[in-house]
Amino acid sequence: MGKRFSRGPDGAAASRKRQKVVHEAPTSEEIHASRQLQQLLAFSQDPVRARHGLQSFKLFLDELLSPASNDADRPRILRDYLQFARPADDDENAVYLPDLMQAWSYAGQTNNDNVMSAVPVVLALLLKLLSQSLDTVPYGLGICRTLLQKRQQELIARNLSADKGKAFIISPTLRMLKEAVSFDGGAIARPMFRARASMLKSLARNMGIVHIGDEAEDTKRPSARTNAILFFLSALKFLHPEAKKELLSQRDIVSALTRDVKQDPPYLVRELLEGLRSHVLLDDKLQREAKASLLNASTLTRLSALYQYRLDTAAAEGVPSIADVAHEFLLTACTNPACGVLRQDSGFYPREIDPNAAVPTTELEELGLEAITWTNKFKTEVPVRNYTLSNFLPNLRPWSSLKQSELITSIFKVAPELVASYFLTNKSFTFEPKLSATWIGYAAFLFNTVTLPIPDYFCRATAFPELPPPTSIVIDNILPLPLNQKALSRSLANKSNMISFFATRILVVAIEKLDAAIKMHQDPSHSNRTAWAEAARRLVDEFCQRSPGIKEMINSYRSIPGGDVLHREAASRLLRLCYEVLPQVALMAKFDVSPFLETSLGRLSKQELDDPRDFALSLKELENLLAIAGYSPGMRWFAALEALSLSPFTLLLKVCVDAPHGVALETIREVLNFVAVEQQLVPADNKHPGLIALLEALQSLRQSHPDSVTQLWPFLDNCLTRCSNTPVKYVEKLQETIQEAAETAGQGFSTAVASPVAMAMLEQLPFVAAKEREQATLKALGRFLPKFLGFSATAGESRPLLSLIFSKMVIHLADSKGKLAKAGVPEGLEIKHSPWPLTPEAPARKAKASSAARQEGGNSEPGMDAETLTNTLHMPDGLEADNSALVKWSSKTVDELVDEGYLTSLIALLVSEHASIRKEALVNILKAAAKIKQSEYEEKEQVWLLLSELAETARDKVNDGPLPSTIASFACHALHVLRDPLSSLYSKVNNFLTRGPFWTLDRLPLVDEVLLEEPVVGDAYYAQVNWLLEYLMDGLRTQHDLELFHKKRARGPVFERILALAANPYMRLPLRTQVLRLLYRATGIEGGSTTLTTRFGIVNWLEARQAGCTDDSEEAAVYGGLRRRVWETCDQDRVRVWSKGALGDGTDGTSKN
Amino acid sequence: MAPPQKPDQEVTAAFTAYYLQRATTEFAEDLDKVRAADDFKNDALQILVSALQQGTAMFTPEEQKRIVTSAARPAGKP
Repeated sequence: MGKRFSRGPDGAAASRKRQKVVHEAPTSEEIHASRQLQQLLAFSQDPVRARHGLQSFKLFLDELLSPASNDADRPRILRDYLQFARPADDDENAVYLPDLMQAWSYAGQTNNDNVMSAVPVVLALLLKLLSQSLDTVPYGLGICRTLLQKRQQELIARNLSADKGKAFIISPTLRMLKEAVSFDGGAIARPMFRARASMLKSLARNMGIVHIGDEAEDTKRPSARTNAILFFLSALKFLHPEAKKELLSQRDIVSALTRDVKQDPPYLVRELLEGLRSHVLLDDKLQREAKASLLNASTLTRLSALYQYRLDTAAAEGVPSIADVAHEFLLTACTNPACGVLRQDSGFYPREIDPNAAVPTTELEELGLEAITWTNKFKTEVPVRNYTLSNFLPNLRPWSSLKQSELITSIFKVAPELVASYFLTNKSFTFEPKLSATWIGYAAFLFNTVTLPIPDYFCRATAFPELPPPTSIVIDNILPLPLNQKALSRSLANKSNMISFFATRILVVAIEKLDAAIKMHQDPSHSNRTAWAEAARRLVDEFCQRSPGIKEMINSYRSIPGGDVLHREAASRLLRLCYEVLPQVALMAKFDVSPFLETSLGRLSKQELDDPRDFALSLKELENLLAIAGYSPGMRWFAALEALSLSPFTLLLKVCVDAPHGVALETIREVLNFVAVEQQLVPADNKHPGLIALLEALQSLRQSHPDSVTQLWPFLDNCLTRCSNTPVKYVEKLQETIQEAAETAGQGFSTAVASPVAMAMLEQLPFVAAKEREQATLKALGRFLPKFLGFSATAGESRPLLSLIFSKMVIHLADSKGKLAKAGVPEGLEIKHSPWPLTPEAPARKAKASSAARQEGGNSEPGMDAETLTNTLHMPDGLEADNSALVKWSSKTVDELVDEGYLTSLIALLVSEHASIRKEALVNILKAAAKIKQSEYEEKEQVWLLLSELAETARDKVNDGPLPSTIASFACHALHVLRDPLSSLYSKVNNFLTRGPFWTLDRLPLVDEVLLEEPVVGDAYYAQVNWLLEYLMDGLRTQHDLELFHKKRARGPVFERILALAANPYMRLPLRTQVLRLLYRATGIEGGSTTLTTRFGIVNWLEARQAGCTDDSEEAAVYGGLRRRVWETCDQDRVRVWSKGALGDGTDGTSKN
Repeated sequence: MAPPQKPDQEVTAAFTAYYLQRATTEFAEDLDKVRAADDFKNDALQILVSALQQGTAMFTPEEQKRIVTSAARPAGKP
């Protein structure tokens, strides 16, 4: 390899090397006279002299600009010079400061950087100075106009595009331009913008010439970037909207503006944000598009980097930090529609779809939501209108910054379409529980997201669209994707209480939101009600798939320490919401609330909580539990568990009496009263004020003799329990006493009222009196009973009757001096402690209102219209044939077969119309049975037995016609029981299966066992009845099934027994509704209504039930609606003849009597 | 006697203070662990406090009032 030689002999290579720039400081002299200044600035080709003059002038101007300047001569000297340098003709081509301009021009020709820099330096200072006084403005304007001349423009362009390293030329030029553009209120901004080719030359590049070094930029030596930005901001301030629009459309400039914003000095960042805010964001005259071109996703992202701005010096108090300023800026930019970023979206309806698209009704009816082409389209991607924001949001870190979290949720609030798409595109961050600041930050962010309101009408309009929003989007807003079942379950079960507390709270707000969404789906104004109803069902299904099961919630609640009242309140609220919003799921869990209720009552009644606020919070927990008890059918109010000496009812009464002053107890009192009426402790009469007398007496006694109240509880508990166990006995005793009173005192006792519980007290009093060690109780009773009876009289019970009762009591009380007997039942007691919500007038008013409501519906009784009735009572066919079940099952595992419904679909085919399908189904059931028997499935024996017995039962019948639906339905529902050994029906179903190898076709299995036999588990009766009604519902489909229901049997036809069941006063509304659904199903079968009318007197039954609904007009309306349907669907001629004209008089089949 | 009336803002402030105090008592152990976690820096304390008091949103103004205006127990406590 040859040696490298230099190319030229004359040392030209030296010029190829970078020459070292040496800045020699210019000389200067002090200026004392205008003439001296003229001489100094007179054009000279000698660069040293030129620099000397310029430097002297610079120092002169610096002095003038300095606030400390007080030399009166200097302004005069300057003015004289300006007058001298002013052109004779003040026209457009006149050149101000010709010497300076010539020096600049000459420097350009000779590449004299120092002079090229020095001229703009003095011009910038001069313009700054001239703008300070009105007298000097004309000179300044003249200079500015001079700068706009072609020659100067070229020099400016040349300066601006100097090498990147020559910031000493670029910076003064930018400063000069800044002064020029803002001179005299932007007088020449417009022509300057016209000359933008020169004025804005290399602006984007110059914005990139940043300060280099570790320490912050010196404010006295601003970088070219700083000067460029300040010039740009001044231009924005003074340019007219059209020019601004064009300026902002320069992508390179806009991009350079924020590229290095993280490293800018604090004052510059503040000016930048303030400038952009005032002159772009909030400028009403500027078009949205212009603003949008500035605020693109990358600008927003770069500005969001200011959340972590590090150069912020400790600002003075009251001055917001850079992060705060940036936050305010971004909030305005992203949430104010006038700023050009935010676009109007349609809430939960994604871009590109038409929520009012016409879908043929027939298709909607046949295919349901599947008829809408886009219904399942948005599960993986949601197209949005706010694409800028959608691109920007993933760059934020809501889990580590409160402000960023606030920014995102504020954006979600104004652009709800972004929620679903945000979580779909940001799958990397999971909610996997971990006790760390990040997890808590993320949980807080998700909580805020869930609490965001649902957009009006789902679409941010003024009415609901025709079609429901895609379910996947709605659910993504209720439980965003990171909140999946696994993560939530693990959080609930986490050993850290705080994690489970956070998860509980999120679930609470999520269920509340779900409730709101369901209600919106059920709005009566929808035109496509079936589609909306189906969407609501899907929504609930989706929610159940994402939310942890209720069992996990119960376990979580169970594991909370007793003293954690805040956590307990939240967990009990969650359970309560499950019962209220998702009853079908909640009831499946067979949750027995009694132990929890008793623990809570125990804690409250022992008064372990010192802080009355804790007491009030615990009371909230108790209220939640009471509400759950109201929803679960098996609550035993009068059975004390071993741990407690008193029954739950008495404990509740005790809590109410002992509650700290000021704690609101209305809900508890309402529950007490409800139970008291239901258990017949007090007369079930609207005019009777319920438990008020008892409570008032106890509270009054507590004030005067607190110890006496403590003595009373066991006695009261005994009386209340007895009264609830055998209410009839005490009602009869009361009747006897009334009789006795009538005999002695004459008339006026036919309407006398008293509480049965008073009779129980009378009955139990002698037993207390007889015991030596109960004397303290007896003494307490001596104080309590007169009060109780006195308050009963005040509350409206019959005084003579009460006096008679008291006279019988007084014999047993410790009343040796006869004081009590003499005093009798005290008069004029005032009820002070219990501002009772159910004052005697209130229920009367309510009753009146409901009777008025009846009157309103014309002359007819209240009755639901047919559509609402269908919505309330119609249930889908549980045995609907799906022939594909014949092939689907074979590829599934045994678990899937049993748990995911493949087996039940197969069983359902036994009721098919077609013999070939039935035969196929039978063969396949046998095959499936064999497969299960050979598997490792835990309940394989029982399932095999069930299937084999079913096959045996169906074998001979399969050619003759469909199997009775009751048999197939029983098999399906029994299968569900066998899956779960904890089911209360488990033993009954197994007993049934072991009874024989096949079933009698015309009998309905397990009806007697459920209705007559005691349940093995204490409170499972109603749960079993619920199961029975579900199975009967699915088993009633054809005329043949109907025959089985009304066939005479040893214990009466099944229908008769079901109707009797509904008359059970303890059965709650959900089960009563199940009975009505069964009846509704029967009316849909040919001959069903006629049979119900002529064989079971259904019309009278419905009328009687309706009359019994004194306080629930909705239930009454269901009865009315059902009666109308019975009439409409029966053989009316036959019924008329049968009833001898008593029925069918009106249009709705009301009976005449 | 009716409990003393407090203006709404005062009620919210009093309830938030009570809520935070309860939460810090109930989760004292967990809070210590969080404070010791690696990622507990910068905004973390602020986030923690804000996250804890978020739960006040679950209580309606009436419920908040009910809880904070619960006065001391009457003298005749058994």
